[in-house]
Amino acid sequence: MALQRPDWAPETIDVERPSVARMYDYYLGGSHNFAVDRAAARAMVAAVPQAPLMAQANRAFLRRAVQFLTAAGIRQFLDIGSGIPTVGNVHEIAQRHAPDSRVVYVDVDPVAVAHSREILAGNDRTTVVQEDLRHPDRILAHPDVRAVLDFSRPVAVLVVAVLHFVADDDRPAEVLRTLRSALAPGSYLVLSQASDDGRDEAERTEAEEVYRRTDNPLWVRSRAELTGFFDGFELVEPGVVWVPQWRPETPESAEDAERAVFLGGVGRLGG
Amino acid sequence: MGSGDSVDEPPDTCSSAGAFARAWAKAVAGTSYLPMTDAQLETLLQRLTDLLSEALRAEPLDLRVGHKVADELVNAHIASAEALGRTVEVIQLRLVRDLDLVCDDVEDRMARLLAAVATGYARALRDRTLDEQESIRRAALTARAEAEQALRASEARFRHQATHDPLTDLPNRTLFAERLAAAVGGTAGSGRRVGLCFVDVDRFKRVNDSFGHQIGDRALVAAARRLRRAVEPHLVARLGGDAFVVLVERSTGTGDVVAVAEAALAALSEPVVVDGHDVTVTASVGVVERRVAGTSPDDLMRAAGSTLHWAKTAGGARWALYDAERDGREQARQELSAAIPAGLERGEFFLDYQPLTSLQNGSLLGMEALVRWRHPQLGVLRPDSFIGLAEETGLIVPLGGWVLAEACREAVGWRATSGEPPYVSVNLAVRQVHRPGLVQEVQALLRRTGLPPERLQLEITESTMMTTAEEPVRALRALADLGIRIAIDDFGTGYSNLAYLRDLPVTELKVAGEFVRGLRAPEARADERILASLVSLAHALDLTVTAEGVETGGQAERLRAIGCDAGQGWHFGRPAPADHILARLK
Repeated sequence: MALQRPDWAPETIDVERPSVARMYDYYLGGSHNFAVDRAAARAMVAAVPQAPLMAQANRAFLRRAVQFLTAAGIRQFLDIGSGIPTVGNVHEIAQRHAPDSRVVYVDVDPVAVAHSREILAGNDRTTVVQEDLRHPDRILAHPDVRAVLDFSRPVAVLVVAVLHFVADDDRPAEVLRTLRSALAPGSYLVLSQASDDGRDEAERTEAEEVYRRTDNPLWVRSRAELTGFFDGFELVEPGVVWVPQWRPETPESAEDAERAVFLGGVGRLGG
Repeated sequence: MGSGDSVDEPPDTCSSAGAFARAWAKAVAGTSYLPMTDAQLETLLQRLTDLLSEALRAEPLDLRVGHKVADELVNAHIASAEALGRTVEVIQLRLVRDLDLVCDDVEDRMARLLAAVATGYARALRDRTLDEQESIRRAALTARAEAEQALRASEARFRHQATHDPLTDLPNRTLFAERLAAAVGGTAGSGRRVGLCFVDVDRFKRVNDSFGHQIGDRALVAAARRLRRAVEPHLVARLGGDAFVVLVERSTGTGDVVAVAEAALAALSEPVVVDGHDVTVTASVGVVERRVAGTSPDDLMRAAGSTLHWAKTAGGARWALYDAERDGREQARQELSAAIPAGLERGEFFLDYQPLTSLQNGSLLGMEALVRWRHPQLGVLRPDSFIGLAEETGLIVPLGGWVLAEACREAVGWRATSGEPPYVSVNLAVRQVHRPGLVQEVQALLRRTGLPPERLQLEITESTMMTTAEEPVRALRALADLGIRIAIDDFGTGYSNLAYLRDLPVTELKVAGEFVRGLRAPEARADERILASLVSLAHALDLTVTAEGVETGGQAERLRAIGCDAGQGWHFGRPAPADHILARLK
């Protein structure tokens, strides 16, 4: 438990606690992490051996989704919960296909944000903002967000592998509604999150237990719940599926898809 | 291109190389996250396969190719221990076979090339790991520095909020108190002087009342801004409401601080336009300036506050300079008035009486109660030293109530040698008459003491009646209906409005001593004529007349001749305890 913080003091950073952003980087094979992150990540792997595979599958889903969106003509991306944007980050994927793509990264982790800022230095079509997904109004009103993105034109909002850190009490559906209300027709929502569909209880509990020791406890959700989060959007084919099944490049890569634990989908705002 | 002895190339090299690249891609897939499509991966590995196969054939064997292949793999994020293991395995097992490479020492060359790949890979991976570690540590340091900076900024903001007024952003009372304490405290130079200007906008409530609080607030903000500019570099604080204070440190004399006060007044008196409204205000300033030695922040603030009050009571739109003598007098008065409640509690007040004597037969008609205060430090005080104060502060109500009750209690025991015992005459202050419940209070008092109503006379002044309110008139009627005598005190000195003689149930006029004094000089006939007309007027209205301030037998004789009913004054007896007066009659 942190020391009592006076209400006028801003949050300070604590690298003594594992960070989900840096754990995720570790699963992806990166070295942007500290001993405390690796220890938590290894504990997670002991509980859920396929955790690195989950992260990789989710990252590949993000890549395919961004490629899909770029092909669909989307040139603006709002990546909330972007973490440490190292291998295969959104602006690299999007700008490789469409150099005029604009990307705003949002993360609550101050170290991830500082790191992102360093990586993005010199790329004036991108920016990073430290904010919490649970405060979508603050994200939408942030001057740096408004400076890069034009909300009168379509924007793809990416909420990938982060919604399971938003508790039911923090009303994730309302968070998504708030984001949706700011979007122009033709915008997209990309969602993925950990799901317990067909998962055994012991495995789930153990994974949640590991995340409880980080700043971000885990909230797994069903396929129906995840589908509900797309309220107001038209799901593009194939709907909400295990992430390897979402528009796979080869039939083999979609095998054993449920082992990926993450469900994901892409929705389009009509009108 | 080569000469006649060139190496034969099998026609299916490309497709064989393709098969190998696919096998390689399959081997490394899933070892770590690969930010590319399967097709992109195969294209990359196809190119690396070509590099390797050329290297194996080339003479001499160039190990740098092995390093280059390793670098490319790691840079493409095919960068994990597993990826290296599988890469070594697939090259060793399949490269020569799939590409059908033919040369003399292919095993030896393969071993050396693979060693170069492994070496290069390990080096590239280690470099990358170190770079990434450095980069994330730098990010953590940056984030921590930013968090600390934010904390410091937040502390500064908090400190600012705690020491500044949110409306005007001027320093608040807290900061002002700190700065004043620092200015007055400290040891440097006993000759140092300090000054304060206590600034208050005159009748600011009117601005709020006529324009609303929002505009009032904005006018205050504008006033604060001007004030700050006008008195720079001195500290200006807002104490709350429309009150400001300026601290003049290191003053060289009264002139310095008066100059600041004048600058403040000038700045505040300029009209300010708020939302299209012309808001014009004036201000008052209390100025105090003195040596630091021997004073304290509390003293200074109190002195500045009193001085501001002087400026206000003098009509505002001015400054006033602190005057120790005046302040001393006011403080003494203040202390005296504050001591009245305790004096009442401790029974320090008592009554003397002065006889009201018949001019016709010399009999004692009544006695006027006069309050005295036996002050523990100041001795016996006469009413003129504390009644005024009591009237200002409202303490006249409890004090007057006590006098009335005490007078009734004493009077009920008075006995006359012949005829009716004398009545008791008690002064009622304006506030007492205007208080609701007076009639019930008097009724209850008469009931409690048993004093017959006709033996009580209430003396009111003309000013009591100078009101449009009906309540006092109704109260006096009710009292008169009970049988109580109502006398107008000091008649002839005020407006002497005859209208209320018609409307009010008055039974007696007490004519002020000025007219009586005039009777001493034989040539001053005017006073005598006025008195004579007053008496005939009173008699025509069925009122009796008592002359006050009768000092000589001659005056008494004249008054009797005019037809005046009664007299009061030294000639008939000085104020004394009731039993002394009654004893003299026996």
